[in-house]
Amino acid sequence: MQPIRHQPILQRLGAAVALAAGLLAAGCGGGEGDATTEGPSGTGAQLVAEMPQSRADAARFLTQATFGPTDADVDRVMAIGYAAWIDEQLGRPASGHRAYWEAANAAIKAANAGSSAGQDQVLESFWKSAVAGDDQLRQRAAYALSQIFVISMQDGGVGNDPRAVAAWLDMLATQGLGKYRDLLEAVSRHPLMGVYLSHLRNQKADPRTGRVPDENYAREVMQLFSIGLVELNADGTARVGSDGRPLATYGPADIAGLAKVFTGWSWACADWPDNGCFSWGSTNGDTDPDRAFKSMLGYPQYHSAEEKKFLGATVPAQSPADPQASLRLALDTLAAHPNVGPFIGRQLIQRLVTSNPSPQYVAAVGAAFNASGGDMAAMLKTVLMHPEARRSGGHAGKVREPVLRLSAFLRAFGFKSDSGGYKVGNTDSAASALGQAPLRSPSVFNFYRPGYVPPGTESGALGLAVPELQIAHETSAAGYVNYMRDSVASGVGQWNSGTSRRDLQGDFSAELGLAEQVPALVDRLDAKLFPGGMPEALKAEIVGAVEKIAIPAPKADGSNARQVNDARRARVNAAIFLAVVSPEFLVQK
Amino acid sequence: MTVHDATRRLFLRHAGALGSLLGATAAPLALNLLAAGSAAAQAAADYKALVCVFLFGGNDAYNMVLATDDASWSNYARVRTQAPDSIALLAPGTAPNPTAAAASPARLGGVLALNPLNAQGRSLALHPTMGALQALFNSDRRLAILPNIGPLVMPTTKAQYGQGAHPKPQNLFSHNDQQNTWQALGPEGATRGWGGRMGDALAAMNAMPVFTAISASGNAVWLAGESVQQYQVGTGGAIRMGADGNGRVFGSADVGAALQRIVTATRGGHVFERDIAALGRRAIDAETALRSALKAPSDPLFGTAPVTGGYNPNNDPKLQYDNPLSGAKAFNPLAQQLQMVARMIDAAGAAGIGARRQVFFVGIGGFDTHDNQNRNHADLMARLAQGLAYFDATLGAMGARGKVTTFTASDFGRTFTSNGDGTDHGWGAHHFVLGGAVRGGDLYGAFPVLGAKNANNNNFDASPNQIGNGALLPETSVDQLGATLGRWFGVSDGQLLDIFPNLANFSRRDLGFMA
Repeated sequence: MQPIRHQPILQRLGAAVALAAGLLAAGCGGGEGDATTEGPSGTGAQLVAEMPQSRADAARFLTQATFGPTDADVDRVMAIGYAAWIDEQLGRPASGHRAYWEAANAAIKAANAGSSAGQDQVLESFWKSAVAGDDQLRQRAAYALSQIFVISMQDGGVGNDPRAVAAWLDMLATQGLGKYRDLLEAVSRHPLMGVYLSHLRNQKADPRTGRVPDENYAREVMQLFSIGLVELNADGTARVGSDGRPLATYGPADIAGLAKVFTGWSWACADWPDNGCFSWGSTNGDTDPDRAFKSMLGYPQYHSAEEKKFLGATVPAQSPADPQASLRLALDTLAAHPNVGPFIGRQLIQRLVTSNPSPQYVAAVGAAFNASGGDMAAMLKTVLMHPEARRSGGHAGKVREPVLRLSAFLRAFGFKSDSGGYKVGNTDSAASALGQAPLRSPSVFNFYRPGYVPPGTESGALGLAVPELQIAHETSAAGYVNYMRDSVASGVGQWNSGTSRRDLQGDFSAELGLAEQVPALVDRLDAKLFPGGMPEALKAEIVGAVEKIAIPAPKADGSNARQVNDARRARVNAAIFLAVVSPEFLVQK
Repeated sequence: MTVHDATRRLFLRHAGALGSLLGATAAPLALNLLAAGSAAAQAAADYKALVCVFLFGGNDAYNMVLATDDASWSNYARVRTQAPDSIALLAPGTAPNPTAAAASPARLGGVLALNPLNAQGRSLALHPTMGALQALFNSDRRLAILPNIGPLVMPTTKAQYGQGAHPKPQNLFSHNDQQNTWQALGPEGATRGWGGRMGDALAAMNAMPVFTAISASGNAVWLAGESVQQYQVGTGGAIRMGADGNGRVFGSADVGAALQRIVTATRGGHVFERDIAALGRRAIDAETALRSALKAPSDPLFGTAPVTGGYNPNNDPKLQYDNPLSGAKAFNPLAQQLQMVARMIDAAGAAGIGARRQVFFVGIGGFDTHDNQNRNHADLMARLAQGLAYFDATLGAMGARGKVTTFTASDFGRTFTSNGDGTDHGWGAHHFVLGGAVRGGDLYGAFPVLGAKNANNNNFDASPNQIGNGALLPETSVDQLGATLGRWFGVSDGQLLDIFPNLANFSRRDLGFMA
């Protein structure tokens, strides 16, 4: 028993995923086709039917590609089909998060010169675009990428520069859908990443005293942002050596070599490459006001001139030191590594579609990425257009993370912000909120790990990864239910004294109109919130409980109109509440 | 497949047992309270708990426990004195300089001398902000130090480390993998922790299995056994789900009852839904049991009752530490987690709990001190010291010191070298064990040789215990630590060999620090 229990997880996962994929393929007869079983092919984009067969199909697709389906989006996908909808979305300009933050800051300063915008305004901009933005796919992709290329406002250095965090989200929403090589450079040279992973102001070794370069970014850019720990096959499964163990992609010598590349980088500064610019980002009181989001610059005097070896590549010794040349070779080497497609592609699938994609699915996504010269948009399209993204049943799907539960709820019921600021606020607390807030991961390892297998669960016994369950526990389970109870009843977010209610308010008029026809009310919730179909037994539970809330017969003189309306609202509240806390809603299938 | 099937059976049995406890059904609950009562009667006589304090990010133990003998100290000072911000702490007896930068070595003053029973020919000291632990080691003798411990497959010399064929833990130096290896003896993806597996061995002594393995931090694989599952308790206590005190939601008992049924079962077929429903069931059951069993945090055993108004942990002096950055008292979240553990230990004998063997997990983050180490690490050391001292004092007031053993763990130690204002990922590290049953005031394992950095390479040739960048090659393994704790806890030698697969590779299976 012992050897099995301690078998390397990658092998075990690979086997389980292959098994699951086999079962799925066997159970999928005709319809949308199984072209991928022939192996990786071109872009994969032509592999599925372009047109949804039903509104539920369209809603299911939109659950993967947006922050939650709305009636209008379903109409659009029904009208033009999946691929055209994706192209239409990608043609739209990105919502400007920094522009939002700056406008909010100006308004705050106009009201009180001593005050300024902060992290809350980054969250406002996130929720505004998530709930009401028309560039849903871009923003949904950016949010997914923010969980792969992680910075966090929980870090003091990052959190103190919220304007630059907004700029970071803009960067993910634009360059995140461009060439991966450019994205990797934007990430690596972003000052907030430099602050977060400490390569900003990292100095070359001093052989006289024995000082060594900071290895932090060199390690994490390989482990998390590009190639991962082990060599991968094109389908994302681990390559193993003759000893049966996964082959490591890099060792301490590679890290030491790459760490030299990430020396000598610091703030953008008018007087570059002045020493004061390197150390403080300013000279003579002259500080670039945009330095917190302008790409870091290389300062030759602090950059290692030594030979740098990593991953089989060599930057020859330099005279003078040339940080740009070192970085170019390092990023070219990482971006060209065959792991990138399956490593990043698999995680993008997990963020949008399913926690345990088949090797064929990963291979198709990686192939599309490689065929397009490393284009993230091509990768994204294949993630959303592969036949496996249309399949349900078996273990397909993922647990909805708390932020996406809330966004789906807000969009389904047309929530609008009284203030226009979508002041959802900080939802970190597991006991009293969501236990998750955008751009506030506890570490660079994100809220959860892509390979997280929950202990003591049926999923774990099957070897299934369920990343989102890494932040699910008894406290968060109760905290979420309580948060949704209050959100359904009173709206979401900050209390506005002017309106005497919470900032985000839904439109339940259609639901209120069905308060006397509870089965129809629940059918409506099924269509809005359960693109995979609400099980009949769940409908029966909700109908049974809601119908017990008595609605008094309206009196002719209208004297009990308020009681009637309150009872109707109580029915709607109860129906929605019971739906959004159900395990069936919490799993995106 | 056999393992999976067995696990599934155990899991289902566990889930079934919990299901029968669902608060709404009166008869099974009463039966379990009866069972709990019989266990509670023995709890006072035979209760033991293990508490893991996890230092997330990789603690720089080189600056937590220091060797101050001349040879060690001069190498330490030379290696760690680097521009722009020296991270070399100052010698014992150095007076603090009140005008130096906050949390700088000069501002903190010298390291705090320790007086071990067997000093191994060395002299030792603690980080300057750890005064709260000095007496626990030097005079109370309840604190022991495990020098240079870390994950190992088998004893490993420096020469063997350089040999590719010699078995070593997988994915060394990687945060997530080494956190997992400390807790579950394998890299990320291993799903059985040694705390939870000890719980498996002894859970039969507990009336309610759900209260065997408890986290006051987030999810921790250390607590996951084959059948034992972690229970996560909020730092303020268990959170009631959805309903008011009368089981009503939106004023309706029917909706309240439907809520319970809906969140504790699934009508769909997806395995993820079943796992979520099992979690919902545990959340409701455990909260129901704890509602009456837990004493308030303001109880003088654990906290300080406010003069006016409600209890606010942030204002409880017992949960405050001396913040070396501000120079003022500040709230210590680690102490609040340990307060929750103390409340759970106090409740272990209560009706409806009936626990005699418990494993607890608490943790604080921020130890990945690649930069700005002086400020960040001084603050963390102060929190750790105050948290442990608070817990020791609280257990003393509860009369439970001898029943509870607390130990620290972390991703890894850090490099001996400095990158100018911080340190990088290492391997071995020094750790603490604290408790009334601990043979404190001593070192268990040889304190490593601290070498000078070579002129021409980075391998610290002068030390058999240091590898690249001066990281420590562990001499004592996590398996040995766990087995020593497990034997005290009541796990049999045979079970220990099963729980710790590499223990058989070590001749010393009891490090001797438990009385």
